[in-house]
Amino acid sequence: MDDEAAIKKCWAGDNDAFRYVVERYQAEAVGHAIAILGNREDALDAVQEAFIDAFQALHRVDLTRRFYPWFYVILRNRCYKLAAKLKKHEVSNWDETEILAPAASLQPEDTLLLERAMLNLPAQDRELITLRHLDGLSYDELAERMEIPQGTVMSRLYYARKKLRDRLKRHAFAGFSEGT
Amino acid sequence: MNKVNCEVVCISAMALADGYDSELSPDRIKEHLASCEECRREVEHLQALSSLLDRQERRPRTENVWQRIEPRLPHAPASQSASPVLYPFILLGGLLLGYRLLQMIPDRDFGFFFKLVPLLIVIAAFSFLRENPFKIHPELRLEGE
Repeated sequence: MDDEAAIKKCWAGDNDAFRYVVERYQAEAVGHAIAILGNREDALDAVQEAFIDAFQALHRVDLTRRFYPWFYVILRNRCYKLAAKLKKHEVSNWDETEILAPAASLQPEDTLLLERAMLNLPAQDRELITLRHLDGLSYDELAERMEIPQGTVMSRLYYARKKLRDRLKRHAFAGFSEGT
Repeated sequence: MNKVNCEVVCISAMALADGYDSELSPDRIKEHLASCEECRREVEHLQALSSLLDRQERRPRTENVWQRIEPRLPHAPASQSASPVLYPFILLGGLLLGYRLLQMIPDRDFGFFFKLVPLLIVIAAFSFLRENPFKIHPELRLEGE
């Protein structure tokens, strides 16, 4: 079954077909929500609510386009609404990374430092950096996902990287040598 | 060049490194970087960071949210027919149309209070929806935007 078939089944009243959609995209969605909210439990709540919103809005899905970018807009709205509701910008202080996978190119403590520096960024900067560098999204895709013009992507990405670099400097991060 | 221009050059240089064109030509960026030590170092630092970030991956997730979602799904299927959210507005439209048709009956005067009916219908609709019609929703977007 593909997305189109599953969505058509949902339209026909088969709620079980939505399970296919959820199970296909939940891992990606949880990763993205954690990157925005910086907290696993809040992220799971946001993902859950976003899938329910998406189910209720399935009649608006354009089957000629990919499902996930459409869903992502719902998910990020849920994440930012939840963040505003919680009125906190606290992020989990994990002993292990939640956003980044262990990397061969970095010592585990450096990966943790890098993630902590990312968690200290404003959520929108963290979202932008993770979408660009961990998912490899193009500027066009970033503009679509974040609903901003491409020129804004360009400048926001620059300032987000700059903030991250400054935070890494503050933590005396040794994972990359500047100027090389 | 002044500080603002330096910033524009750095933004453009990073976009160029990402493979995108900006308002400045590559030659103009290179020319500025060749003459501005501060910008050159800034761009080098940020490119080193970009390169480090490009080598990272997202941690794979294993959480399953289906069990939490399934009991909360509405029983009525999502369909391409009108969204349930639109039903009150369809009813409102129907009532106003009915009012207009009544008004068009010739040689009938329903009096002053009859003229207030549309206003009452709209007030009743917004009360039912618990919605303030004058509230601006910054999140609203036109479909297809």
